[in-house]
Amino acid sequence: MMTKTGDQESPASASQVDQPSVKRAPPPETPAAVQTRFRVIAAFWAVIIFLGFPIWWKTTSIYRASLPIEEMVDWADGKACRPVFPLEIHLATPSMQSFEAQHLLRTTQHTLDDLNEFAAHHLRLKLTNGSTTAHNSEDSSESVKYPAETADTALTVRLLPQDGLAGPWSELHAATTQLDIFYPPSQVPVPSSSNSPLSAFIAAELQRLYGEEKATIAHILSGNTAGLDSTSPQLAEDIDRRLRRSMKYAETYHLSFSLFTPGSEPSSWDIEAAVNEYVSPLLQALSPISNFTVDTQVQLYANFAPTAPKPEYDESEAAWTLKKEDLSAFVNAAEWPLNPSIGNGPTINFILYVPDPSQSPLLVNENRASSWMIPQWGGVFLLNPPLSNTEQGGRSNPAHLSQDSLGPAFMTFSHQLLTLLGTPSTPASLPLRLQTSIRIRAATLLLSASATMGSLARLTESLPSIPIPATVATSVSTTLSHLSASCVYLREGRFGAALASARVAETEAERSFFEKSMVGQVYFPDEHKVAVYLPLLGPIGVPLVVGLLKELKRIAGRRKAKGTAS
Amino acid sequence: MRVLSLLSLPFVALILSLWSSAAFASSDYHEHLLLQPLPQSSLLASFNFRSNTSQQSFDQQHFRYLPRALGQILQHAHTKELHLRFTTGRWDAESWGPRPWNGSKEGGTGVELWAWIDAPGDEEAFAKWITLTQSLSGLFCASLNFVDSTRTTRPVVSFEPSGDHSAADQLHLLHGTLPGEVVCTENLTPFLKLLPCKGKAGISSLFDGHKLFDAAWQSMSVDIQPVCSADGECVVQIEQTVDMVLDIDRSKRSRSNPIPRPVPNEQLVCDTSKPYNADDTCYPLEKANDKAWSLTEIFGRSLNGVCPLTDSDGSSDQSVCLRVPHERGVFISEEADEIKKEDGFTRCFKLAPSVPFDLSIPQQPVNTEVPLDEPVLYAERTIVGHGQERGGMRIIFGNPSNTSAVDFIYFESLPWFLRPYIHTLHATITGHDGVLRKVPASEIVKETYYRPAIDRERGTQLELALSVPAASTVTLTYDFEKAILRYTEYPPDANRGFNVAPAVIRILDKAHNAPIYIRSTSLLLQLPTPDFSMPYNVIILTSTVIALAFGTIFNILVRRVVSLDEAAALGAQSLKGRVLGKLVAIRDRLRGKGTKVE
Repeated sequence: MMTKTGDQESPASASQVDQPSVKRAPPPETPAAVQTRFRVIAAFWAVIIFLGFPIWWKTTSIYRASLPIEEMVDWADGKACRPVFPLEIHLATPSMQSFEAQHLLRTTQHTLDDLNEFAAHHLRLKLTNGSTTAHNSEDSSESVKYPAETADTALTVRLLPQDGLAGPWSELHAATTQLDIFYPPSQVPVPSSSNSPLSAFIAAELQRLYGEEKATIAHILSGNTAGLDSTSPQLAEDIDRRLRRSMKYAETYHLSFSLFTPGSEPSSWDIEAAVNEYVSPLLQALSPISNFTVDTQVQLYANFAPTAPKPEYDESEAAWTLKKEDLSAFVNAAEWPLNPSIGNGPTINFILYVPDPSQSPLLVNENRASSWMIPQWGGVFLLNPPLSNTEQGGRSNPAHLSQDSLGPAFMTFSHQLLTLLGTPSTPASLPLRLQTSIRIRAATLLLSASATMGSLARLTESLPSIPIPATVATSVSTTLSHLSASCVYLREGRFGAALASARVAETEAERSFFEKSMVGQVYFPDEHKVAVYLPLLGPIGVPLVVGLLKELKRIAGRRKAKGTAS
Repeated sequence: MRVLSLLSLPFVALILSLWSSAAFASSDYHEHLLLQPLPQSSLLASFNFRSNTSQQSFDQQHFRYLPRALGQILQHAHTKELHLRFTTGRWDAESWGPRPWNGSKEGGTGVELWAWIDAPGDEEAFAKWITLTQSLSGLFCASLNFVDSTRTTRPVVSFEPSGDHSAADQLHLLHGTLPGEVVCTENLTPFLKLLPCKGKAGISSLFDGHKLFDAAWQSMSVDIQPVCSADGECVVQIEQTVDMVLDIDRSKRSRSNPIPRPVPNEQLVCDTSKPYNADDTCYPLEKANDKAWSLTEIFGRSLNGVCPLTDSDGSSDQSVCLRVPHERGVFISEEADEIKKEDGFTRCFKLAPSVPFDLSIPQQPVNTEVPLDEPVLYAERTIVGHGQERGGMRIIFGNPSNTSAVDFIYFESLPWFLRPYIHTLHATITGHDGVLRKVPASEIVKETYYRPAIDRERGTQLELALSVPAASTVTLTYDFEKAILRYTEYPPDANRGFNVAPAVIRILDKAHNAPIYIRSTSLLLQLPTPDFSMPYNVIILTSTVIALAFGTIFNILVRRVVSLDEAAALGAQSLKGRVLGKLVAIRDRLRGKGTKVE
């Protein structure tokens, strides 16, 4: 009795030794009973582990589509693509020998490469024959139509000999992408010389033309911290300010022109003519970059906000003035109906404010200006029309604003629009500025879509409980493919196509990041589930766990006994 | 002809004539206020603002009078005609007579919206409708975004477009109601912002949210429709109206002391012809005098000149009209001119620009009264029955005319959780003599359009073409069953009941071109409402039962069965036994110590 069958009876016998009572120890359990108990507990646990747990796992798991996390992070870190901007510049030399032209091209390119300190943005010269330059405008329109064919021509430089000149001089066409350089025929470089004043002049001109663009792109690519070393602090500050002021890129912008006046007059304006005259041509020119819609409204009885500072009368100027620091409170956002236009895309608001006759003329105190821009929102213009005397002896605004009186305001608005869209201030040629703006936009979009990818990757990794639907995975793959396409287009110098791809990439990136079904994670915190199921799991779990522990103890004890026995 | 019609149908015809004369005026903006004292010391104030925008500038988004936000919503949702109503209170047809604008500018209690949307198919139209409701919801600060498929119907005969639409448009009519919406100041502010003069000048300067929503009945409406002249010139017309019935006594209470107090006993005018058995009872006598009131007292502010956008020629500058008998004395501000109309009851005022205008009426004995028409039809709808499972609907139509029958369309949109049994539709006619006659419903109902509900997808739509004979009352009844909702479908205030949208009655009157609309009051439907802690109770109870059963079976399976004395021996070995043993030992030792000390 004392020795043989395991652990069950040995304490019993010990107790018998301790307590010499009448109590009788139970007979030892049969191995069959022990076996049965073991099987029962094992069966319960088997059901829990092999059936219950998988079902629970399956029914409560969330779908997480696999994302190319590594690739996304690479894009965000800038490892996947290094954007380059090779600008193709055509050199037209109608009156030069071909070998002379070749030599000029080589020397100029050499000088340019020496001057350039920002490798991502470089100018490439290319010779064209004179006949294509004559049809330059048609060429450029065709290249817009078929962007897949060749690289975009950024600029055509026409070299024209002119007698009686001391040195070369240049003329930039304001309406086309053409730069005329007039040079004295004596300055044509001879093939033996390694550099010439003419090539140096051309290189310097081109460098000057693209100086701001280069600085801007360097500023964007370097993450808004430091641009090029050579950029003057003034220019760097200008670029920084412009980038901060400009709107985020969108496929569609809604332009909203509003006439506000605190009284009842003027109540109408020649808005249709003014828009056709001053705004439509500009929008036509901007159409490769974005789409625009225009709407206008007239709002009477538009008062300042009660908390806004009132204009003060300046005796020396004989005008009512607003302080510069108060301009931010000028727009009464609570009462003026400036709600964003319906549909996708941001709204740019342009406000034409006609002050009350009792407060006319109204100006900005510090600089006598009558207009200002509100960064990333729009612009304001204070229009002080000539007052007329009324029958009652008072003075009143005209009831109708003619197109002529709207002219200055709309010139200002179009200037503000260009600034808000991030178009650089130089060079003087509008097509060149728009081209620059295409490149800047492409760079910005490329970076922002890449950054969104990085944020998405980080988000999905840091929140393991959010679902990732399949649409997000599709969007991510579309984004990545368009990003790389855009990168390739940039390298090839096809900036229009690059912008188109970057636009798609940006849209898809935003869509994947703001996917609605990814937000619904916190509806049922785990604590709630535990609280609801504790009444069930508690009473069932305790006997199961205790049974398991006892059984394990028994097995461990038997092992030990076996070990000592052997 | 005009005079005759004014005499026969003064109230309705006046508004109609004013409307029609101005509708084709050259002015692009027009506003008008009509004040009419009603019986029981009430005052009807009916504001109307209307402006036109040419179709061309509407399409090019050059907005002048039409609010830009609303115009863009319409364009975005391809909505060609829009009618939006915010209504609170009940029009007391028994004492106030027919409704202003023949009921065409009022809605059912809460918010009502219907629109004609240009879309190639039904599904596209519904998608546009959802866009429309979402956008309007933001614009008007109302819960219009809750107008989903279950609250949207497509009435077949109850509404007809009032604008001139081109034949190329594929128009779809959609109609949605929110009977539970509480209309309040936050809806008035955006409504005022839509007006060109913004409540700063003209008759809109009288609007005050405290007074407007304190009215016994008020209805705000926005109607936008294209209007084409004979030569094909089209304009987009926006018309905004506010009608309200103010209680004069209630409105005259000062803002500083707004709590209503009972009239002191000695000031009560009691009907002495009635028998009284105690001093503290009183049958109040109808006042013999008209109440004295003024604009400033009633609206809490004075009228601030005229909105300068209105044309200053012709009749359109008489923007304020008052309907009281001509012998009644009326004091007005000095700068304004009074023009008395020929009908003997109407006078209009020509206001001076930018000078506050006030109008006051002194107390005066009543000699003549402005005649009020009898409404063409009385209608009333109630839920009958008891219990949580079934109920019934009873609709009573009364035709006051002794000569002619009334034909009308009765339109009901019921929520899906109210399941009507159309086969139980019965009609009873009560004639002149007061004798009830049960008739088959088919005798009264000429046509039926019925679209049954689908649970959680759409509500019931019921349109009946009815005819009520002269001088009789028709009672329609049908039974319905109340559905049991899912746990999450109950609103937070489930025990309040569920709103059932008002029924719309469109009277097909041959005499008028424009139909007359009447809306019943909204109903509260009590649904079986569970105790909302129930699911947790159920979870805990079932868990306990399962745990009990499981524990018992598991214990039987794994426990060892021994006899009682054996158990005691085993028990000494268990944790409990050992702890007990220790305790006994400690007690023994303590006792031993105690004895030693003693």
